[in-house]
Amino acid sequence: MTNEPTFEEARAELERIVAKLESGDAGLEEALDLWERGEALYHLCVSKLDKAQGRVEELAAAGGASEQEPPTDSQP
Amino acid sequence: MKAEPLVYGDRKVYTVSAFNRGVASWIARLPTLWVEGEVTELRRQPGWQTVFFTLKDPAGDSSLPVTMPRAGFDALRLELADGALVHVYGRPELWEQRGTFQLRALTIEPVGIGDALLRLERLKRALAAEGLFAPERKRPLPFLPRLIGLVTGSDAAARHDVIATIQGRYPPARILVAETLVQGPRAPASIARALERVCEAGVDVIVLARGGGSFDDLLPFSDERLVRAVAACPVPVVSAVGHEQDVPLCDLAADVRASTPTAAGRLVVPDWAELTDTLAALRARVAAAARRRADRALRDLEQDRIRLARAPALLLERKRSALEADRERLRRAPALLLERSRARLDSVEGRLRALSPAATLQRGYAIVRREGEIVRAAAALAPGDRVAVELGAGGFGARVEEVSP
Repeated sequence: MTNEPTFEEARAELERIVAKLESGDAGLEEALDLWERGEALYHLCVSKLDKAQGRVEELAAAGGASEQEPPTDSQP
Repeated sequence: MKAEPLVYGDRKVYTVSAFNRGVASWIARLPTLWVEGEVTELRRQPGWQTVFFTLKDPAGDSSLPVTMPRAGFDALRLELADGALVHVYGRPELWEQRGTFQLRALTIEPVGIGDALLRLERLKRALAAEGLFAPERKRPLPFLPRLIGLVTGSDAAARHDVIATIQGRYPPARILVAETLVQGPRAPASIARALERVCEAGVDVIVLARGGGSFDDLLPFSDERLVRAVAACPVPVVSAVGHEQDVPLCDLAADVRASTPTAAGRLVVPDWAELTDTLAALRARVAAAARRRADRALRDLEQDRIRLARAPALLLERKRSALEADRERLRRAPALLLERSRARLDSVEGRLRALSPAATLQRGYAIVRREGEIVRAAAALAPGDRVAVELGAGGFGARVEEVSP
């Protein structure tokens, strides 16, 4: 895989691995490879969930004449 | 008021004033009528006898200068904010001195709720016909947004509800808030600009939130410019404007309509706890399935080992029984041979019996011999010859009496 998968792609692959392993069709070596891949995908997903630092930023008001009036909900 | 031309040979030429007067008198024949538009650039200077403003199409670029006598304007006691939507009843005219075209207003009426409803319905139908609200235009929301844009007024409730819901469900969420005007004639442009700016900042989904309000309060969210801006937004938009029963047009153009700001917050992020639980469960299933597979391989191996250990004895047993069978066959061989020989002898005897003349004689035939030779044709005999006749049982001697050839 050239690009790192997105969270959704990684989770979908993890689900496919579960299905493949639980079907019992995989050979022993394949099963161990799948398990390793599953572990990697799990950690990738978890890292994606943890990576972003939650925060709220304010977009600074843009300059220009049209923005001089302060934002407000109440009109005079 | 006829405009007289100057004559230069065969060319008729008008002075500027004559030209303006001529056009003005032609325009003055046009009827008095109603024009709808937004008021901008209102100039009502002390001392001026005339009030000036420009009337603009809400969504278009067309504009029209309007004049009204100061006394008439003041008598209407209008509070015309910049951008207010009005109906102007007036006559088109040309201001001769400057050659400028304008609408001379006789009266001005702000657009009331009834008119606004009609306008809204008309706009809704036109935009729907254009396909702006079509279901196939709706885009799915990203499952895990990297940056969420929140476009909202400074009113604490809607803003707080969206942020609190998002952070409660998905603590790592990043939110970029753009505050805008959410009320009044300038709100649509302000909101459209906020949408653009959060897009430029790289958000991958936008929540447009506004708490409840009166019909007038929510009107900017049905403004054609804003509805088009929502439809044209490069990332999916969740619209949460007003209460459940309010359906401003921007709700119809948005990719998803949320009934409340809280609902919008729930729509844009997944539940973090549920997500991590699901992932952990998937991981456990992978590990358990891989372990079961390995256990099976071990059991298979053990079976193989047992079969391997049993193999020599099994082989010996097979050889012994084969040997035993051979021996049995060997033991039975002489008797079998004897039996076969006897059967063969019987069959030879039968065939021999069939060939012997005795059997034929038994059936009533006779053999005639003369001087020991078997007689096969009557021509070999002559009357008076002595012959011996052999029957199935016994025989007799005889003399030939007569021969039939």
